[in-house]
Amino acid sequence: MAANKKAQQLARQLFKLSIVDGAISAERVSGVLGYIEKTQPAHQLTVLKSYHRFVAAELAKSQAIVEHAGAVSASILQTIAASMTKKYGRTITASTRANPKLLAGLRVRVGDDVYESSVSGQLGALAASV
Amino acid sequence: MSTVIEQIEQQIAKLQNKAVKKNTGTIRTVADGVARLDGLSDAMYNEMIQFPGGAMGIALNLEEDEVGCILLGDVSKLKEGDEVHTTGRLLSVPVGKALLGRAVDALGNPVDGKGPIASTEFYPVERIAPGIIARKSVSQPLFTGIMAIDSMIPIGRGQRELIIGDRGTGKTTITIDTIINQAKINKVGLASGDPKFRPVYSIYVAVGQKQSNIVRTITSLEEAGALEYTVIVAAPAADNPANQYIAPFSGASIGEWFMENGMDALIVYDDLSKHAVAYRQISLILKRPSGREAYPGDVFYLHSRLLERSARLDGKGSLTALPIIETQAGDLSAYIPTNVISITDGQIFLETDLFNQGIRPAVSVGLSVSRVGSSAQIKATKQVGGKLKGELAQFRELAAFAQFGSDLDAKTKAQLDRGSRIVELFKQPAYNPIPIEQQVVTLWAMQKGYYDSLDLKKVTAAAVSLRGFFATRKDALLTKIRTKAALDAEIEAELKTAIDEWKATYNA
Repeated sequence: MAANKKAQQLARQLFKLSIVDGAISAERVSGVLGYIEKTQPAHQLTVLKSYHRFVAAELAKSQAIVEHAGAVSASILQTIAASMTKKYGRTITASTRANPKLLAGLRVRVGDDVYESSVSGQLGALAASV
Repeated sequence: MSTVIEQIEQQIAKLQNKAVKKNTGTIRTVADGVARLDGLSDAMYNEMIQFPGGAMGIALNLEEDEVGCILLGDVSKLKEGDEVHTTGRLLSVPVGKALLGRAVDALGNPVDGKGPIASTEFYPVERIAPGIIARKSVSQPLFTGIMAIDSMIPIGRGQRELIIGDRGTGKTTITIDTIINQAKINKVGLASGDPKFRPVYSIYVAVGQKQSNIVRTITSLEEAGALEYTVIVAAPAADNPANQYIAPFSGASIGEWFMENGMDALIVYDDLSKHAVAYRQISLILKRPSGREAYPGDVFYLHSRLLERSARLDGKGSLTALPIIETQAGDLSAYIPTNVISITDGQIFLETDLFNQGIRPAVSVGLSVSRVGSSAQIKATKQVGGKLKGELAQFRELAAFAQFGSDLDAKTKAQLDRGSRIVELFKQPAYNPIPIEQQVVTLWAMQKGYYDSLDLKKVTAAAVSLRGFFATRKDALLTKIRTKAALDAEIEAELKTAIDEWKATYNA
């Protein structure tokens, strides 16, 4: 258990080193990976998995994933990116992902936050309230 | 004109299509009623977390990059990677008079098969206890119907009186007796039509008990006609520890509704030792640092914040608490007993030895105390039972001393004789509370020496016969004692005549 904690701490330190000006730097990440490969720290797999989790969570914060059931125009995508950038105070890029399970509408995911405006979401809320 | 309508419709459409924001996370681990979650960066302390399949969780540990939460409901279908989201709500339970006569689980869902509960109001489970200004000191009595308690360790409305003892010493029986007595008083009071009468509603919280015991309790209450004034909150031993941890707080919320709406309520926590064990289990799985007896550091705060919610409010009602603690081999100095003793306004200590000697209720007079209740005692009880505690304490001392020698002076013999008669008088069968006016009559007869000529073994039977005589023949006098709540020369004269009449007819 203590070893696991140490691996987590190391992963967190490496993650902090990977951030330059509030954003993940690709250069630093490859540097960190090179360092891990070279030094072979104890519990290398745990360190790498934790590091992966931290970096993925950080990257997700500056990415708006727009799930859609119908077609989404480039202008809508742009509007979403602009409004999210304004809301969170950091540059957010939008990308699309088709999800027919939504039936109709959109679902925008920025980090942990999910903005739901879809038929399946409304049906789910209705089912929960009954 | 149609353009105006269109404009309004557009505005409405905009609002209707407004996106719903949710803060989400994923399950990392689920084990032993506790889940660790990734994400949920906006989760608040004690917030309800929605899990797939209808299960709920309560966020208890907010850490740098994960949230530890306890799980309520069916968790069998949860798996690693499932998405969860915050709800922005605190855990709430239904409250109100619709719950009376019902048995509910820790979340307020009915478990008695009597259909849904028609309650419109909800109270959060965790509430902050009333402050100093809102409170009023305890000055109204709450009769337990147990003579030893009402005369020597009186309980007032809004008091917290701990009931402590080893297993099988009759702790639950005392509380059930008290609930039955409240129901009896309620029935008499409500039938009398007195506008000043304040009924007492009861809440019985069963934590970590066997289902069969809970059923037995419900049956006893039903047989005594007390269930209609009682709410049962059940978190049996088979429930997960999260439910056992929440149940007393849910019960307190149900009781607070009565208190805040100008009514009086009584809450029984049966028992807080098992509650502490459930909390210890949760805390250990959440990896909180453990302290003495492996309990977490905040186990004192767990019980103090629960028991502080019992109070008497100025201009409103009251909530009286009877928490139960089970000791191991009579050890009062263990961690949880000392904690709860220091929080409550007194304790009733039940002894195994007394129980086995046939002295039931097995109240140990020397170790039991009520810190605020005496100001709530009615004058009549003070008049007849004011010196009882001292007399019994003297008796115990002398009885221990008398074991070693047979030559005793007349005074000591008289004291021993009187003491053993008081002990006999306080014997009382289970689920048979005695109304306060009957207690006054029984004790008055004792003070005046009416039992002195009887054989020691026949004192209990004589007291029962005396009460039977009064219940059937002297109802008017009993009502007078109950309403005046004090003994004056006139009542004493009437009492003397009545008891003389009984004595003449009684064959020992």
